[in-house]
Amino acid sequence: MTSRDISRRLFLGGSASAAALYGLSACTGAGSSGSGGGASAPVSNELRLFTYEDDTTIDLLRATVKKFDAQAGTTTTVDSLPGSGAAVYPDKLRTELLGGKGPDVWRIWGGQIGSPFAKAKQAADLAPYYAKFGWDSTVNANAVAGMTFDGMKAGLPFIAAAMGAWYNKSLFEKAGVSGPPTSYAELEEANDKLVAADITPCGVAGKFGWDIMRLFEYLLETSAGPELHDKLLSGEESWDQPAVVDAFTKFKKWQDRKWIPEGALGLDPSDVEPGYVQGKNAYTITGTWTETQAILESKKPASDFGTFLLPTDHTPARHSGFVEGYMINANSGNRDKAAELLDFIIKPETQKSLQNTSSTVTGAEPDKTKLPLAAKWAEISKTSPFYVVLDQAFPKQQADQYFAVQSDILQGSISPAEAAKKMQGIVSAWVEK
Amino acid sequence: MVAVTVPRSAAPPAAATRRRRRGGGLSPWLFALPALAVYVVFLVYPAVTSLWFSLTNWDGLSPSYDVVWFDNYVALTKDPVVLQAARNNLVWTAVTLVVPLVLGLLLAIVLNGKVRGKPVLRLIFYTPAVLPLVSIASIWGWLYNPQYGAINVFLRTVGLDGLAQPWLGQDSTALAAVMVPAIWLRTGFPMLLYLAALQGINTEMYEAATVDGATRWQQFWYITMPSLRPAHYIVLALSLIDSFKVFDMIYAMTYGGPGTSTQVMGTWMYANVFQYYQAGYGTAIAVVITVVALAVSIPYVISQTKEQSS
Repeated sequence: MTSRDISRRLFLGGSASAAALYGLSACTGAGSSGSGGGASAPVSNELRLFTYEDDTTIDLLRATVKKFDAQAGTTTTVDSLPGSGAAVYPDKLRTELLGGKGPDVWRIWGGQIGSPFAKAKQAADLAPYYAKFGWDSTVNANAVAGMTFDGMKAGLPFIAAAMGAWYNKSLFEKAGVSGPPTSYAELEEANDKLVAADITPCGVAGKFGWDIMRLFEYLLETSAGPELHDKLLSGEESWDQPAVVDAFTKFKKWQDRKWIPEGALGLDPSDVEPGYVQGKNAYTITGTWTETQAILESKKPASDFGTFLLPTDHTPARHSGFVEGYMINANSGNRDKAAELLDFIIKPETQKSLQNTSSTVTGAEPDKTKLPLAAKWAEISKTSPFYVVLDQAFPKQQADQYFAVQSDILQGSISPAEAAKKMQGIVSAWVEK
Repeated sequence: MVAVTVPRSAAPPAAATRRRRRGGGLSPWLFALPALAVYVVFLVYPAVTSLWFSLTNWDGLSPSYDVVWFDNYVALTKDPVVLQAARNNLVWTAVTLVVPLVLGLLLAIVLNGKVRGKPVLRLIFYTPAVLPLVSIASIWGWLYNPQYGAINVFLRTVGLDGLAQPWLGQDSTALAAVMVPAIWLRTGFPMLLYLAALQGINTEMYEAATVDGATRWQQFWYITMPSLRPAHYIVLALSLIDSFKVFDMIYAMTYGGPGTSTQVMGTWMYANVFQYYQAGYGTAIAVVITVVALAVSIPYVISQTKEQSS
């Protein structure tokens, strides 16, 4: 053995040992632990915000964050996963959090979508910041409730979204529909007229389940009424009853009478939802974001379109709604700065500059001249309460099981009565758990 | 060549030295150590950790969990979606293994013959294999659109209105509809490998066979097919692994729907781990997938080992 051999082997052995030690240290390295809420000593001036803004609003958010950075002396990175919806975004967020280097602040839906992050203590308790910044007095209390889990204020809601019908006026006129229907019977009549004029009435799609779900929950509100609807969602009342069977019967009717697109179950909502602006469908069921994302983007005048509260024939006339907000990472080293950023974002003037059409703070209502249809919803929401959208009322697993029932009904593989029974099985199993 | 003889007078090697020589001593291990360390840290350790999590009720987010031992595996046997997913996996594997392989072989034989514009044709057939999968899913999603998609529009144009279907929107056609683009994108790979193998076959064998009066079929069966044996092994093994771990195509095109009709083991595992906050249960599904994949690949590994040692 020569000295050259020895040195090469020593080198290889040494490098192998170093690699092994490095790997082991990577495995056993403990992440920083957070106690949730409370003050935190900043470890750096860097923040990362994770959101799902699309191209129409991401630049506004980045500009806002830049303003905050200039005054707070921070450097904030904004990452976005646009267009993924509640079906994909939470998975990505969860993977990042488990990877040990999650964002300091993230946007998330309320209800059962945001709940797991609070229960797993990945989201910080924001109660100290609510007190510090006075958010309790400035942010809509119902929206705050939508991001409060087991008594812990885990999120700061900035959107209280309202969903209704958004329609194309010229297609209504072409079919001889004089204006928005004021009763469910009138809506059915309008659908028939539209089909007769070779126009698909309601543009909803079911690839992920949640878009076409908006139609069923509206029909459930119509059949069951507000009180029973709420009790069904919380599992206090059995789904195996005539009102639910009636809602499923109507749901099937919408497909059989061609009031929704052919093969809607396999279609992507992002392809179908803007169809009312493109002239493919007469209307869709969506929220105020459609005015910036679809109408303004198309460069068509807002006066070509209209929006209305879907008639339920009940008092109060409710609409589907949900909450979105921001959570702060319980393990963030910069929770105080992150809370300052949220306080900056939630200010009415910032909300206006972000073109938030459904803000939870007063003084940030949409500008009637720029967003007349969203402004109309700000008015509607004053008198019309909302029922919780189904995929925020149920955990994801139960929501997916509901989507499977929805799919079976539309394909005719189960009857409305069987669907009601199946739903009762799904909801009761969840409530018992 | 100079022969070197060890003088008989030299002392016989000690037992320890013999053992070291037989096993190669420490040196090979030192050389392998860097790769082994990476392998252990990035593959063995996560695999063992996954195995452990499959015995727990971890939700995938919380810092704590309880050990439930084999409850997740028992639950697997009662989960109707697992049965459906396993069935879909079998169908998927059979179809996306056989069809691209046969098509690839046929195309390779055609392109190996006297065909004009071979490079262009080769490019056309192989292009789908290099396209991003999500793009393929989007393209085929549009083609399948029940109202405006090219497939239904074509069927209606030629008077076959009755055949126009909501391809991805009904249980009866959804899985088959996803298999079509999978076949389309996977045919290029076996074609390329077979083509390379065909070009390596000695043409004199065909000339001799022709002289002996062998038909084209006999030449194919007794010369071409045996000569392609190494290529068959590679194509079969890689296609089998590719088929079995299907996830992306289903996820992008149908998201496992309508309902759960196109769920496969991979997507169902993903749903449980990442969406239902049932990481313990989802990991149990992953363990089952791994065990089945290993069982399937063992014959291939054995055959390869035998071939190399012979």
